[in-house]
Amino acid sequence: MSTAVLFAMTFGVAFAGMFAGAGSLPAAAQQTPGTTEVKIDNFSFGPAELKIPVGTTVTWTNRDDIPHTAVSTDKMFKSKVLDTDEKFSFTFSKPGTYEYFCSIHPTMTGKVVVQ
Amino acid sequence: MSVNPFDLKTVVLAKHAQHVVLIHFPIALFMVAVAFDFLAQWGKSRSLAAAAYFNLLLAACFTVPVVATGLAAWQFALEGQKLKGILLMHLVLGCVSAVVIWVVFLIHLRARRHPENSLPTYRLSLEAIAVLLVGVTAHLGGFLSGVNGPG
Repeated sequence: MSTAVLFAMTFGVAFAGMFAGAGSLPAAAQQTPGTTEVKIDNFSFGPAELKIPVGTTVTWTNRDDIPHTAVSTDKMFKSKVLDTDEKFSFTFSKPGTYEYFCSIHPTMTGKVVVQ
Repeated sequence: MSVNPFDLKTVVLAKHAQHVVLIHFPIALFMVAVAFDFLAQWGKSRSLAAAAYFNLLLAACFTVPVVATGLAAWQFALEGQKLKGILLMHLVLGCVSAVVIWVVFLIHLRARRHPENSLPTYRLSLEAIAVLLVGVTAHLGGFLSGVNGPG
């Protein structure tokens, strides 16, 4: 086997791997707009920080025994008082960072990063 | 959201924090007043009766800012939305407790202004009911504020 053939085979495999990887990476990293859930439990939002693409609807569900709210600091969204198992949804149509908190327990905070 | 607890702006504008702080005063004063009144009745002590009266006076006075800050928290933090569940129970029981504390105080005030009339014994039953009401309201308030959680 000539050096040229060996060279071509080596780089061929390497390129194939690169393209295979390149093909799978965007699929893994790509986030399509849809719905995402934030659970409110034990006096905290989970996840506390969420990264989502534009157009995603976030649903907050109160899994705690006591009432909570989800209110953005810039008044972009504001839930009513959520009792146990009640939900609130909001669709993020603009990119940006949206910080929010529970107006009954202001130390409970969260963040949604819309990309 | 880090805050300096000694910053005046934090203290004044901390939404419903004032309610959570002030509520301890009428609870403690009323409980002590009732204890003194029971002891005064049992031991026929005028000084304990006087101590009960002044504790009741302060407890009744403290209910005013406590109810005001509670209602303000409802209006500002929750924008006056319709309450239900624990929040509604806390609001109703809190208002009823404040009224009963005032009624107990007025019974003592009336007896004090008319020394010829002794304090009615039914007040002790009313005081016991009031202690129960205050206790349940405080329990719900503690539950809401997250004393049993990291909130």
